[in-house]
Amino acid sequence: MPATTAPEPEVVIRARHLAKAYKLYDSPKDWVKQQFLGSEKNPYYKSFWALKDISFEVRRGKSLGIIGRNGCGKTTLLQIVCGMTRPTKGEIWVKGRVAPVLALGATFDYEATGRENVLIGGAVLGLKRHEVLAKFDAITEFAGIGAFMDQPLKLYSAGMRMRLAFAICAHIDAEILIIDEALSVGDLAFQKKCVDWIDNFRRTGTLLFVSHSTAELSHLCESAMWIDNGRIREAGSVADVARGYRRATFVEKDNMKRFSAV
Amino acid sequence: MTNLNNRQLPDARIMHIVDGRTVDPKDYNWLQRVVRFLLRPFTESWHHRDLIAAILRRELRERFSGSMAGWVWAVVAPVISLVTYTIVFDGAVKLPNNAESKSSIDYALFVFGGLVAFNFFTEMAYRAPSLLHEYAHYIKQTMFPAEMLPIISTLRATTYATIGLVLMLLCQLIFAGSLHWTVLLLPLWFIPFLAFLIGITWLLSAMGAFTRDTAYLMMTIAPVLMFATPVFYSHETLSPDARFWMYALNVLTGFIEIIRDLVVFGKIPNGLVIAWTLFISMFFFWFGYWFFRRQQDAIADVI
Repeated sequence: MPATTAPEPEVVIRARHLAKAYKLYDSPKDWVKQQFLGSEKNPYYKSFWALKDISFEVRRGKSLGIIGRNGCGKTTLLQIVCGMTRPTKGEIWVKGRVAPVLALGATFDYEATGRENVLIGGAVLGLKRHEVLAKFDAITEFAGIGAFMDQPLKLYSAGMRMRLAFAICAHIDAEILIIDEALSVGDLAFQKKCVDWIDNFRRTGTLLFVSHSTAELSHLCESAMWIDNGRIREAGSVADVARGYRRATFVEKDNMKRFSAV
Repeated sequence: MTNLNNRQLPDARIMHIVDGRTVDPKDYNWLQRVVRFLLRPFTESWHHRDLIAAILRRELRERFSGSMAGWVWAVVAPVISLVTYTIVFDGAVKLPNNAESKSSIDYALFVFGGLVAFNFFTEMAYRAPSLLHEYAHYIKQTMFPAEMLPIISTLRATTYATIGLVLMLLCQLIFAGSLHWTVLLLPLWFIPFLAFLIGITWLLSAMGAFTRDTAYLMMTIAPVLMFATPVFYSHETLSPDARFWMYALNVLTGFIEIIRDLVVFGKIPNGLVIAWTLFISMFFFWFGYWFFRRQQDAIADVI
């Protein structure tokens, strides 16, 4: 830990008043019009604000859990932190290599063998070829799929693909790990292996973790943040946030039943 | 696997975005910004060279995967077309500019030279509009540098164009007995042509991400372009007026004339044509790059 000069570790993720608007065009015609005639003030698109106002900080070695209902903006927030999409307003500052486990298997080519997919996946995550080759045995061992490594991916079971994907993500020397509900894959033994690996990673690495399971959250995270409709509804210790979230879920479930009865 | 825990990266990467704009750690004046922009395509592709190689390798393998003959097809197809032109045009047509025909294969080579360049162009033009859709899951779910895709797909097409070019030189060598020394200047033709194609692909793929019409547009104009381009004839058979407009409107004309001059006729191309072609390729290269970068954030959201 580089905690020799500062009493607290440095901030590695800082977000201030983040907001993200998606531009929705009714037809491709409007896109063309926007290119030639439109302006910010007089647009041909409608804005959908997936995130409205999010501010938080994460220090090195800390872990932050994020909960919220479907469509509340969790994934958009993670994509912004990874740099996959750009916030419309506000500030984001991220230091260090990010490993997005939410991209599990996004780069997979089902016709290619596991070996080739490791090379492509590693390259997409920013590794040089010689780095991937150096880690190849470790990845094979972690994935634990044996001789299937030389078979095309279309022959894999879903669990085997996820094992391979997690094995790649676990070996790119990331400083910030971003996990989006990916742990529910794999059998119990592999889940335990992943959780053990994450525990180990957390000793110095920073973790952003999205889950609907408050139990997983309280095991892996120190603090939590509850996002509702693009805003932070509650932030603080995992226990408090999880309690508030659970309570609200019951209330809202009741509401939904009431509305559907009408 | 655990060694990352006690490792500090010396050059930790920093991403800093305020109100949708990336904040540079340093302030640059406008001249530095222009130079940085002009150099950017090269520095970026050098930075991503391993990624480019990995994806390119996959694409090349994919092209003939599942076929037994594989790469043989890439060679057989141009051989067949070359043989066809030789048989069909043997003795029937004189070289349009009255250059002395040394052998019956001269016209075939003349057409083939045009086709190598034209097919290279159409392969890019057909694929570009759907290129980003093919890689949508990369762009949306990983930190994939989408601006590298047009470079990768141009490099892929380059391998086939190179096969055609080598074949053309071989025929010249076998049937005419020798190559013109101007063949050595071919790299000077190839590099601007590549830049032109990469630029076109940046442009078309960014447009194709937003509207499928780009694909239909290319499918509609490419066959017309084949006849509006001096593939089967020479621009020298046209009136001077028509010749001027052909150069001005059809950017492929210059490239095709130059490759024929170098390989078939063995003469140095007209300086004006060279200058115009160079200008075209540089313009499309940087304009395409600029356009792609401008749309890039929106692309990740719409695709």
